[in-house]
Amino acid sequence: MDPARRLGPAQIGVLTQLVVATVLLGGIYALISVGLTLIFGIMRVVNFAHGEFLMLGMYLAFWAFVAFTADPYFVVVVAIPLFFVVGLVVYGLVMRGVIHASHNVQIFTTVGLSTVLQNVALVAWSGDFRYVRPWHLSTVLRAGSTIFNLTQVVASLIAVALTLTLVAFMKWTHAGRVMRATAQDRDAATLMGIDTDRVYRLTFAIGIAAVGAAGVLVAPLYSVYPTAGLQFVLLSYVVVVLGGLGDMLGAMIGSLIVAAVEVAGSYLFGAAWKEIFYFILFILVLGFRPAGLFGQRGAGTLGV
Amino acid sequence: MFGLAALTPILVRDAYFLDSLVLILLWGALSAAWNVAGGYAGQVSIGHASFFGIGAYSAALTVTRFGGGPWFGMLVGIVISIGAGFIIGFLSNRLKGPYFALSTIAFSQVLLIGVSRWRGFTSGAEGIPVPFRPGFATLGLGHVGWVYMALAVALVCYAVEVYLERSRVGYQLAGVREDEDAAEALGIPTRRLKVGAVTLSAALTSVCGSLWAQYVGFVDPTYVFSVDLSVRFALNTIIGGMGTALGPFLGSILITSLETYLRATFAGVKAGFTGIYLIIYGTALILVVRFVPDGLAGIAARVRVRRAHA
Amino acid sequence: MSDAAPILALDRVTKRFGGLTAVSGVSFRVEAREILGIIGPNGAGKTTLFNVISGYYRPESGRIHFAGHDVTGQPPHAICRLGLTRTFQLVKPFGNLSVIDNVMIGALTRLPTVSAARLDAERVVETCGLAAHAAGHARTLPIGLRKRLEVARALATRPRLLLLDEVMAGLNPTELAGMIELIRRLHADGLTLIVIEHIMAAMMRLAQRIVVLHHGETIAEGAPAAITQDRRVVDAYLGEEFVLAQA
Repeated sequence: MDPARRLGPAQIGVLTQLVVATVLLGGIYALISVGLTLIFGIMRVVNFAHGEFLMLGMYLAFWAFVAFTADPYFVVVVAIPLFFVVGLVVYGLVMRGVIHASHNVQIFTTVGLSTVLQNVALVAWSGDFRYVRPWHLSTVLRAGSTIFNLTQVVASLIAVALTLTLVAFMKWTHAGRVMRATAQDRDAATLMGIDTDRVYRLTFAIGIAAVGAAGVLVAPLYSVYPTAGLQFVLLSYVVVVLGGLGDMLGAMIGSLIVAAVEVAGSYLFGAAWKEIFYFILFILVLGFRPAGLFGQRGAGTLGV
Repeated sequence: MFGLAALTPILVRDAYFLDSLVLILLWGALSAAWNVAGGYAGQVSIGHASFFGIGAYSAALTVTRFGGGPWFGMLVGIVISIGAGFIIGFLSNRLKGPYFALSTIAFSQVLLIGVSRWRGFTSGAEGIPVPFRPGFATLGLGHVGWVYMALAVALVCYAVEVYLERSRVGYQLAGVREDEDAAEALGIPTRRLKVGAVTLSAALTSVCGSLWAQYVGFVDPTYVFSVDLSVRFALNTIIGGMGTALGPFLGSILITSLETYLRATFAGVKAGFTGIYLIIYGTALILVVRFVPDGLAGIAARVRVRRAHA
Repeated sequence: MSDAAPILALDRVTKRFGGLTAVSGVSFRVEAREILGIIGPNGAGKTTLFNVISGYYRPESGRIHFAGHDVTGQPPHAICRLGLTRTFQLVKPFGNLSVIDNVMIGALTRLPTVSAARLDAERVVETCGLAAHAAGHARTLPIGLRKRLEVARALATRPRLLLLDEVMAGLNPTELAGMIELIRRLHADGLTLIVIEHIMAAMMRLAQRIVVLHHGETIAEGAPAAITQDRRVVDAYLGEEFVLAQA
């Protein structure tokens, strides 16, 4: 039977809703992942603490909302420079010393950092689930038969705008070009007189600023608690791996794929199981396509 | 050191002290099991809680749902962990370093979500109380009994480590850890050895998980599958010295004593307690990998060398 | 298998990476107790060819026969157990292990016990002139000795055919002379070798026959003296930093 004929108006309505939901979610995931793509692509450091900066961004949104009833969309403006500075400090204290170290050292350093940040949050703000409920969360938008709340739409739009700004920055500014040059060949960049330590510091700070901003934006959409970052860090690694390591446009496409898997999975099996889909997707992608869907397996993986 | 542990119950009868000893031995055994994959084979996992949880749940569910004994449950756990170990071992052949670590975390998260959501069978996030029935067959032991039980499993794990330091397969595994391509050129079946090491490590971890479930009397998914737990196995080993037989136990003595001390100190502020010692753990981890990468065992070895030269 | 059969035979072996053909239809034979040299400009596909022969890469087409076995697509460890092993151009010592342990791991491939392998490794370490460094960590060795360690470790597996990938690059004149002497001695003891080398003077003294690769293809094959006269070979090397005639 022709499947197209089975698509009545109701099914088309559902389909549109799923597609729009995917795009909205994908936009947010892109901003979360793009910082990781930068750090991973340029510094070649796997940052297991990435999700914890997202979590800190969520708490920033929560406390700003509680203290000043500040809308998360205004807090973002503060969050970007604030997390940029946080990135600089963490780079100086922790990352700088391990950037040339072995993978194991980097893994455990960032795992340790993740443990510390999670538990600082736990001690300071307890393990309670917190919620940010700005007015626009209950404002509903209709497009035909599909319904979305304003928060989701605005968060996604801001996320996409920030991501595109970052892509443009990397492509057209001098600093961006220097960063990309360093990503391609660390040694050659050093020979060209590029101060790689400065490049890494900048990269890390920008990456953390991006994920901190993302945390503020998603705070109204998820509950806020000390280990909230974990599911996002694994998710952003799925995106980064799918998109081909260090490729920012690839990461945006990867975000859409992950969002599509999550949206379709929730629709078919129920939202309670949604995380399990991208974890399984993650293991499958890592196991069978470690260079991403679009990337080529680098000659370096074999090392011969 | 193990002899001292064996003598302790005869000399000391303090339940609190014996409890600490059981935990030191169990955590040491778990870290030694992690060391088999992480230290000797170089396959650094941050998802070993998967196998711990499989062991704990296999024992708990066998007892509560099927009316079987905990020993049988332990066996079930071993079988399932071997299966899971094959999956992780397969991934270790496809992925290197950070990718492998990430995939092991994802694996433990899949189990965490699966067990939390499958309420009908696993009781979900509320967890399962494991009944205490006195007797060896039901693993309902007293404090002294548990000391010897934990000691036995610690000795088994220690023996496996010593074997890996001295045997043919142990040297070949060291080659795999140091450089896989070179090991292949020397006729070592690197893939098979890695899968073997990961699977053995998984089975040992599972045994400890089953014992732990009986000892503590309660399992819940957010604890047994947590990343913190996986990190702890690694942390003990790193602090003690990766790829050394005694390292995991030295690390366990230090970390478990620290935890016991902090638990006593911060007994009043119960909510904050977990956080504080985990902050110390995390900081210790960052500092140790940076400044003392070969751990306590490495320091001991260096001191010995210096003495020999002096 | 008769004595007349070659120990190694490549039949139109091709290896591609995406659009790039790194090794293209290469065929040659190696007779037992021979030293075959492989030369060619940078990027000619020499190391790729070694990776294909020793099992690291599976060729897209063609067959490789070693000592009567079809080894095409077999994993390196299986090929090693048949008696074919290699060294790496970028040396790959087991850095955190002692020199003697490095070599012993090679010996363990044939010997069942650690004690037997250790005795054997001591002999190999002695042969390769590493005895003075046996107890030290491999990562502390200078480059000249690391190249020797590569050879020693491979020798400990008791190969019939050994592939040497630029074991002379980066050596000082004394070390170079020592390495040539070592290779000659191994050859005299009955070992068959394929040698990749950029140092032409050494190659001319060692190899009985030379295969020249260029852009992945064999452009010449023959005795060293004949190769230096070959027009195509001289053309291939134009622009390279050294002049073939110096050999």
